[in-house]
Amino acid sequence: MFGKYDLSLHLEEEGIKIEVEGKGKKRIYRRICNGEEVEKHIYAKEGNIVICPVEPVNLPKEGTAEHLLVKLIKPIIIEPDVESTFYVTFPVEIGVFLVDKRDVERIDIFTLTKPKYALYGPPESGVICRWWESDVYGEVPEIKRLFEGVLRVDAKNSYREWVEISKIVFRALDMKVFYNDHAYMHARLNILKKTVGETSFNERKPKNMQPSIDIYEAKGIKKLEKKFVAEWGLK
Amino acid sequence: MNIIATIGEILSQKIEYLGGRSIADIIIFFVIIFVSFIIAKIVRVNVRRSFKEKIPGTTLIAVEKIFYYGIIFIGLVIALPYIGVKLSGLLVAGGILGIVIGFASQTVVSNFISGLFLLIEKPIKIGDGISIGDVSGVVKDIRILSTTIRTWDGIYVRVPNEKVFNSSIQNFVAHAARRFEYKIGIAYKDDADKAIKIIENLLEEHPLILKEPAPQIFVEELGESSVNLTIKIWAPSAHWYSVKTEMLWKIKVALEKEGIEIPFPQRVIWMADKKAS
Repeated sequence: MFGKYDLSLHLEEEGIKIEVEGKGKKRIYRRICNGEEVEKHIYAKEGNIVICPVEPVNLPKEGTAEHLLVKLIKPIIIEPDVESTFYVTFPVEIGVFLVDKRDVERIDIFTLTKPKYALYGPPESGVICRWWESDVYGEVPEIKRLFEGVLRVDAKNSYREWVEISKIVFRALDMKVFYNDHAYMHARLNILKKTVGETSFNERKPKNMQPSIDIYEAKGIKKLEKKFVAEWGLK
Repeated sequence: MNIIATIGEILSQKIEYLGGRSIADIIIFFVIIFVSFIIAKIVRVNVRRSFKEKIPGTTLIAVEKIFYYGIIFIGLVIALPYIGVKLSGLLVAGGILGIVIGFASQTVVSNFISGLFLLIEKPIKIGDGISIGDVSGVVKDIRILSTTIRTWDGIYVRVPNEKVFNSSIQNFVAHAARRFEYKIGIAYKDDADKAIKIIENLLEEHPLILKEPAPQIFVEELGESSVNLTIKIWAPSAHWYSVKTEMLWKIKVALEKEGIEIPFPQRVIWMADKKAS
């Protein structure tokens, strides 16, 4: 499903139906997913439709959260001064964009997942996060491609004691999503204290993958800081 | 050397029709005024650049003007003695005028100072949903003398900053999340555990009811006519109201669908037996 298409397309996969119909300037975009149907008129002479995974914080209402909290079903314990790599999953939100040489316009964002949110930290200073529960895998896990993506985490325990982690918080603004037939991100977690971790993302494009359209860049938002300090606990 | 001495002499010569001032005095007067204008302009630009992101537009213009005219005023105070204007007289007149203006503009100054403190303390921001005294709504603007609020009914209200500063302010969106609660009574014959499970499942389905902190559902009270359940729900502050208005009816429908009754107030009355009496 992910990829670049002409202004005329018909796709059906895993219960998702996307089509762009019509000729000339006026076309109709239609999408059906989870029983929800969206229809929009597109007035465009040229351009392409790009369907790709995006930062998973846009549904059901844009602006609800800017962070993703991955709750680990089984916690992991990391030895001091040890670096380890593990994989978790993340919810896939699928973005449909109209792209031409000058601009990128968002047409639609939808998901097969059921969005759920959580507060990370105290109400007065914490942040609202998209909540997602995942197992921890030693290797790239088998996934439902349009439902969840693979998130590689390179974790380093820079603290002097053993640290147990059962939740990791990422900032959507820092995310770099890639795709081929599935969505992929590569994050780093640096454990600074027993309850403090710093998360960031590797922006290098993996082999055979395409970078997704960044919803923040598409909106013209500049990214300054590239790290998020999760200071309200890792458990 | 002679030419310089001659120019010096001419400049320092006191001329009668200039009120006994020399040409040098007049030149110094204009130079001071000119320099103060330039300094005022530079300061104005720098103030604008430094506070652009920190102070709202209308307030920034006022602050800029205060700096600009303040510097020009200081320049005038320094320059005026060179053209023979005695500041002692001006100061006395200014003092009296100051007292008069001070009394007259007490409220304005109080609002202005309160406005500055509001900008520093930042208890409210433009776009926040707030309640100040008996006014409740969305903050549309925070100006140097007043704060404008659009009430929930869409009415424009201007609140003087002094009142804003001295009132207790409730900011509904200052924190990321907030809690609300429902109280629901179920019939004594019904299973409270089952009712709690039904409500839990329903809340789990709603994306904006927070997973953490988790909702709390428990039997609060054994009431006169019903077993009273309390449901405490956390939601993002930006969406709590829509969630609150949406869920109560859904809970009622879900409970009734599973055969759980939400009873009316009732009282069991025992009639005295005629035979027994």
